[in-house]
Amino acid sequence: MDKTGPIEVPIEKILPFLPCLMTLYVYPMIVLLTLVSILIFPFLFVVYKIFTRWTDDRIMRALIWLYGRVWLAGMSPFVRFVREGFDQAVLLPPYVIVVNHYSFFDTYCMALLPFHNIAFAVRAWPFKMFWYEPFMRLAGYLNVEELKLQGTLSGGAKVLQSGGSVLFFPEGHRSRDGELQRFSSVPFELACETGIKVLPLCIIGTDVLFPPGRWTMRPAKIRLKALPPIDPSDFEGQDRHMKLRKHTKDLMARAIAEIQVER
Amino acid sequence: MSIHVSSCGGMRMTDQEAIELINTSLAEEFELDPKRLVPEAHLRDDLELDSLDRVDMVVVLQKAFKIKIREEAAIRQIRTLGDIHAYVLGKLRGPQ
Repeated sequence: MDKTGPIEVPIEKILPFLPCLMTLYVYPMIVLLTLVSILIFPFLFVVYKIFTRWTDDRIMRALIWLYGRVWLAGMSPFVRFVREGFDQAVLLPPYVIVVNHYSFFDTYCMALLPFHNIAFAVRAWPFKMFWYEPFMRLAGYLNVEELKLQGTLSGGAKVLQSGGSVLFFPEGHRSRDGELQRFSSVPFELACETGIKVLPLCIIGTDVLFPPGRWTMRPAKIRLKALPPIDPSDFEGQDRHMKLRKHTKDLMARAIAEIQVER
Repeated sequence: MSIHVSSCGGMRMTDQEAIELINTSLAEEFELDPKRLVPEAHLRDDLELDSLDRVDMVVVLQKAFKIKIREEAAIRQIRTLGDIHAYVLGKLRGPQ
């Protein structure tokens, strides 16, 4: 009788199919995660309400952060996540957070942050995802295109005053060439008006994972690096928000270039 | 072009000076080539400024001219750089 054991497939034969396998896995994983989350959301909301006494928007932000954490776990067979610069002794939210933008999944990766009380300030199109929209509204996310300048500044100030942070992707679009694009002044105007520090975050690797214009995904190593917070009171003059903006962008460009050399 | 003198944050400036300040401020903010800043330039089609950039545009103009810009119908009608010139000049001259 012939002895047969497990079939060994060399890893080199699997590698070309890895993106395909990953894509076939990730899309259903996200759909399932979202459906289950929507179903259990009322129960979790009530539990948080009873045990934390947090406001509704803060509870929603915590639940969104949890959703993101589960997403991180779900992606872990194919993606390695690394975060640095998040020394808890140094990080004292709230902040006006600014992050560079490569991929649709950048927002999901914000679950890597060690704090959850964050309202995202984004364009109008994410609010068109009807399965996410009610939760985004409940979490107090800011639709910058709908609110315009005054609404964004007052809405952002309200979040910051209550102890929450506000997160912006100041480029406004995903970068298609890996270069940092022009930064919007709005987050820096908010920081100057409220006196809240800017926390620059650099994210690398999501451009490999899922860049704009592609529907398939690739295994990647994603690094999220926090740079030291920047105090807007260090800048003076009428155009201080522009000086703050330029300084932040320069720091982030340098940090991203260093990380890219290392990878 | 007629020479009006408008008041801006205590400074008096002609229409031409105001237009130059608008163009300089926008060129710096949006990293635009000043040669492209002609009155006929369409914000979206020629200068590639979208609705999110309009939010920044308000920041820039408020700072440059020390005026408050609220969301009015006139703002929503702006399509070209010339429209911006006309809007800001109208603000500076005040109610006639």
